[in-house]
Amino acid sequence: MKRAIPYLRRAVQILSFCVLLYLIIQTAFPLELKIPVDLYLRLDPFVAMITILAQKEVILRMLPAFGVLLLVVLFGNFFCGWFCPMGTAIDFFDRILFREKKRMKGFNDQSLRRLRYGVFFFSLAAGLMAFQVMYLLDPISLITRTLVITFYPPAILIFNHLLPKVQTILPRNPIIVSSIPLPVFKVNLFIFVFFVFILALGVVRKRFWCRYLCPLGALFSIFSRLRIFRRSVTDDCTRCQQCVRECPVGAIPQDAPQHYRQQDCISCFKCLECPPEVTTFKFITPSWKSTNGVDLSRRYVLGSLGFGFVSALVIKANPLQTESGLKNNRLIRPPGALPEERFVSVCSGCGECLKVCPNNALQSTLLEAGLAGLYTPRLVPRIGYCEEFCNFCGRVCPTEAIRALPIEEKRLIQMGVAHIDKTRCIAWDTGKICLVCNEKCSYHAIVGDDKKRPIVKEEKCTGCGICENKCPVDGEAAIIVYSFGAQKKLKPEPSTNNT
Amino acid sequence: MDHPPKKKITRRQFIKGSAAAAVIPLLGGELPFYGSLAHAAEEADLVIAKTGSPSQLLQAAMTPLGGMGRFVKKGQRVVIKANIAWARTPEQACTNNPDLLSALIKMCYDAGAKRVAVWDHTCDNYQFAFSRSGLKETAQKAGADIFSGHGHNVYKQLEVPKGKKLKTVEVLRDVLETDVFINFPLPKHHFATELTLGLKNLMGIVWDMEQFHKIDLHQCIADINTIRKPDLVVVDAIRILTTNGPKGPGKTEDIGEVIASTDIVAVDAYSAAFFKHPKTGRPFKPEEIKFVKNAFELGLGQIDLSKVRVKKVSAT
Repeated sequence: MKRAIPYLRRAVQILSFCVLLYLIIQTAFPLELKIPVDLYLRLDPFVAMITILAQKEVILRMLPAFGVLLLVVLFGNFFCGWFCPMGTAIDFFDRILFREKKRMKGFNDQSLRRLRYGVFFFSLAAGLMAFQVMYLLDPISLITRTLVITFYPPAILIFNHLLPKVQTILPRNPIIVSSIPLPVFKVNLFIFVFFVFILALGVVRKRFWCRYLCPLGALFSIFSRLRIFRRSVTDDCTRCQQCVRECPVGAIPQDAPQHYRQQDCISCFKCLECPPEVTTFKFITPSWKSTNGVDLSRRYVLGSLGFGFVSALVIKANPLQTESGLKNNRLIRPPGALPEERFVSVCSGCGECLKVCPNNALQSTLLEAGLAGLYTPRLVPRIGYCEEFCNFCGRVCPTEAIRALPIEEKRLIQMGVAHIDKTRCIAWDTGKICLVCNEKCSYHAIVGDDKKRPIVKEEKCTGCGICENKCPVDGEAAIIVYSFGAQKKLKPEPSTNNT
Repeated sequence: MDHPPKKKITRRQFIKGSAAAAVIPLLGGELPFYGSLAHAAEEADLVIAKTGSPSQLLQAAMTPLGGMGRFVKKGQRVVIKANIAWARTPEQACTNNPDLLSALIKMCYDAGAKRVAVWDHTCDNYQFAFSRSGLKETAQKAGADIFSGHGHNVYKQLEVPKGKKLKTVEVLRDVLETDVFINFPLPKHHFATELTLGLKNLMGIVWDMEQFHKIDLHQCIADINTIRKPDLVVVDAIRILTTNGPKGPGKTEDIGEVIASTDIVAVDAYSAAFFKHPKTGRPFKPEEIKFVKNAFELGLGQIDLSKVRVKKVSAT
């Protein structure tokens, strides 16, 4: 039984990662999966806590996360070692890239270990101030974003490359399938480099990220201190140091291996491979007492909180939206997004909406929305437009930064208004018959005048951007959608069908 | 994707068939029920079928043309260019009538087609257009493959030697290579070109449709039709869209007609009259639609319906 545990754990980890992959792949048309595709994010208590702090109201979708937290209180931190997909990725790369010999020699990590608590307190304070950049360090959001933005497009590239080869092998019956239009995301390099950096930290210590940086891990640590399912070592311990070496999070102190820091333990049960077989896990009355804990002085906690407050204030005061410091009127938010300030404080930048968007219209921002809006979604009509009968982005948003609106309501959300550049428009400039924008408009918001030149009816335009997307003018379109602050709801149009 | 059930030939059918095969050359005449063995004489070039269910209309329209067996031979591959451009419901008449598409596919299989493929390069996202129009389900139920041209890999670049303004274009490879090509348009109002008819339906085999608007829309529509002449045109005029075209939703009118022909210009000349000219209020004359006129000038067909053998039939 004891021997099977490492294999079982590895199997569960791989399975958990595959489930995440499967859910991400299913985050697409027709979106009919019974389980929510953003399941992992909904179960993430760190995101839940910060969004609820930032939003200052209960987000129903995030409530299951507190169930996970409750389990952690009882049974200790099982999530990081068994289910965390980020942890799985880190374990995998630690194993194949960094052998024990290659690692740096041991050093006293006492001071480093409190770093993630600092990160956690920082984000708590920043969350209260509705500043969300700390989501960037949430492991679930991070791995989802990385998979969607950096790894999904190359996967499509490979698929499209193999497609014709597979098709030629198929005998007789010609299956001619269109390749998938390559999804593009401008920020993919930044996210890729960050991910590689996190994996590369494994050269210092196993699971460096989990031990010293991960804020979700810090939250679990705080709550798992009173766990009832604990490691217990009898007095026959020979101090062979095997468990000290094996522990992936360094929870067992070198000088006293019969004790351990229960709050750091991720329940991987590697220490059960104990040569004298003196280690067991059993239900014991909880105690707050821990050995060799981190030194979370009042000064440190208050310092982190204060740093969080001040950073949030500084970044809120940063006007960086466009180069001129003015409001970026090309920043179009997805339909049903909260008002800008609340949107950036609640959006965790997970990338679910980017994946689900059928037209690749949603793009991740870099600095277009200011520092506070890093990696938040925006509509870029020239790349893709907002599909009329689609409300997928709201349906997959775990933090309800984009509200899940029914189709009929979503069709009335005005995200922006299209404007025609008459000096570049084919019809206005050359007098040729074009009117592609009128033809494609789903809302009858573009009409032609007597010379078949397009005119935008502002009161009907939703800013979906199909006109900008399909405009045949080279380069920038001759019809461009501009946002103008908060989204508003248009008046429903009386049905024109058969009247 | 499942194949249509193979029809077992019973002994009785076999005897009837062999007898028919033996007798037909002697009679030299009609035998409407054995389309795959021989087709009836062509009584008309353009058939208009009225009053009846979609499948009855199609049957009625095809018989005077010589039946489907005239166009589809045993073991051939058929491509139907349908109009599934928009994410609209069937009642809104912006996409083909599902029952008619289903009947058309079945008729191709009955004539012995090996495989029927339905193609369109949609304007809205193909997933939404295919599902909302109900045509994906319809096509697959009838045993056909349904393909969307959203990937660049399914196109082939070629010269347009007969084109006046369009010189090179990328069109669906399957349309070029198939044995039988059926154009399956539905007439609609269209703000930019007045109407969208059979000729314009072929814009849906092109990769870069927007390019047409830059060159000269009306001429390009005529030019693209020189690439491959459809073997058969079936016009879905059961319900037409008369305002807010081509995307709709707008006012619709139940015409209840199915038109079948081999002459695409004649078809367009006929179906243009379903619509009223916005200025004069009278039905459109074929010459008033520029792309129809351009296509006639390119010799793609007959614009003057008095020179075409037109037959009107009732399906019931």
